[in-house]
Amino acid sequence: MNNTLTIEAKHSPEFLERLLRVCRHRGFSIITINATTEQQLTNIELTVSSERDISLLIKQINKVIGVLTVTLSASSRNIKASA
Amino acid sequence: MNGANFVVHALIEQNVTQVFGYPGGAIMPLYDALFDGGVDHLLCRHEQGAAMAAIGYARSTGKVGVCIATSGPGATNLITGLADALLDSVPVVAITGQVPTHLIGTDAFQEVDVLGLSLACTKHSFMVETAEQLGPVIEQAFEIATSGRPGPVLIDIPKDIQVGPSVAYALAQLAETQQPLDQAIITEAKNLISHAKKPLLYVGGGVGMAKAVPALRTFIEQTQIPSVCTLKAIGCIEHNSTHFMGMVGMHGSKASNLAIQECDLLIAVGARFDDRVTGKLDEFAPHAKVIHLDIDAAEIDKLRQVTISMTDDIKQVLPAITVKPSIEQWQQHISEMKVTHANRYDHPGEPIFAPALLRQLAETMPADTVICSDVGQHQMWVAQHMFVDRPENHISSSGLGTMGFGVPAAVGAQVARPNDTVIAVSGDGSFMMNIQELGTIKRKQLPVKILLIDNQRLGMVRQWQELFFNGRFSETILTDNPDFVTLASAFDIPGETIVVKSQIDQALQRLLNSDGPYLLHVSISEEENVWPLVPPGAANDQMMESIG
Repeated sequence: MNNTLTIEAKHSPEFLERLLRVCRHRGFSIITINATTEQQLTNIELTVSSERDISLLIKQINKVIGVLTVTLSASSRNIKASA
Repeated sequence: MNGANFVVHALIEQNVTQVFGYPGGAIMPLYDALFDGGVDHLLCRHEQGAAMAAIGYARSTGKVGVCIATSGPGATNLITGLADALLDSVPVVAITGQVPTHLIGTDAFQEVDVLGLSLACTKHSFMVETAEQLGPVIEQAFEIATSGRPGPVLIDIPKDIQVGPSVAYALAQLAETQQPLDQAIITEAKNLISHAKKPLLYVGGGVGMAKAVPALRTFIEQTQIPSVCTLKAIGCIEHNSTHFMGMVGMHGSKASNLAIQECDLLIAVGARFDDRVTGKLDEFAPHAKVIHLDIDAAEIDKLRQVTISMTDDIKQVLPAITVKPSIEQWQQHISEMKVTHANRYDHPGEPIFAPALLRQLAETMPADTVICSDVGQHQMWVAQHMFVDRPENHISSSGLGTMGFGVPAAVGAQVARPNDTVIAVSGDGSFMMNIQELGTIKRKQLPVKILLIDNQRLGMVRQWQELFFNGRFSETILTDNPDFVTLASAFDIPGETIVVKSQIDQALQRLLNSDGPYLLHVSISEEENVWPLVPPGAANDQMMESIG
């Protein structure tokens, strides 16, 4: 299952490291990531893949200090075409 | 006032009176500031010891524990202690020196990326980049360490920030705030409790961390709902509470584990469905609806899908959901199970039986004694056979299972509570892991009592090798241990060795009556195992038991 999250956070030099570590440790592979920082705010669009429920990751990201909002913006099951 | 002086000032503002640490190059300005007094510093003999002493200080008091180390190896030596504090949700603030800002990223002497290392073993961490950040960072560190689910916070301070001028900042104290409870969920919870025929409280370490022990005991008194606890929650419920069955899980009591499997409503309070508690998760409490109370929203539905959850302060929630169910049959059944599956202390022959020894120690030690356990078989025997009536009096590395924890944790507890008896219960494997902290005991003349249970083995690993690895005792035989009494005497710690039951009475008296530190070295058979045992991958009602 692929899920796309939109995350807004206070900027800090290591914020992306924190986010990526949480994703990996909690069992979510990163498919795409786009991050921009302006005026001390970091906005991230992140697509992750896992068989685990996305709510588990959302809760863990919400615990990262500096995270302001986490929104699930899209979900899709990644179905490979059979040969 | 330079940055280092400001740090000491800020610690005082946060009501810190005691810190634990070890000096070194990049933290020397802070040690120079500490030299002026205001905050007591205890020199531990390894940074891991300092971190664990800070944990012992925090867990025995409910205050924040503070530890200090230098950059590079000083900081890396803290890591195991920080991970221990993270897994057990202990409020610790660690301060590390860092190389000067212009040298960061140059592979300077004793430079390591401490902020990077801290990401997986702290609740949060800071690198102070300017003098202006110092005050707000220290304020935030203490707030984060103590608020919500507590945990360790690291502050990395480059040397030039320590020696440069500070920037004035008025530090605020954290004020506890409470949100109104969701009355619809309260009503639903009360409805579940009042209709339950076999409700059971599953109490975790969060109760003690939330300072909710009085609220829990009132809830139990008013509802008479039977209860079990986790390793970290030992002491939350009075040991002689009528329907309390003790610890649940892998080495939990048989009554606790059977009750879990039979209950129709499980009320999890400050507990997180850890694998050592649940055994085979799919078969844990298979008939139960679940009410889960935990301050950490990430614990809700993490491992067990629950019926109702609340992430509010347990102190608020428990009175609000108090309703007495009609469960006389269930209470009677619990009482019968407690009798049927009570611990037995009959043991043939002269060799010392550790569970009986620990039971006797619990019965003879002064009130309000703090037990700091190390990790291994002795840790489980302490949990099963000793009893304490405050969570602050049972300090055990529960989540991380850190060998070497017991002695430095006892150092921290003894410093925090100088008028109480503090006993470190260790094993011969664990004891050697932080043996250097005997030097800390000597330095401060701390009256820590050490009960060393020695089977000349890495006992818990040996037990698993016997049961699950065909008796292939790979690297667990420690017949080459040092003479521990002689070793202790090198640190001016008197002690003795006992090997048979008839020596126990007098030896325990000498241990407990000694004015200073004391080592009671107890030799036991390597063949003693911890029972009962829920084998890996099994449900909690499939316990292995002693056939003796």
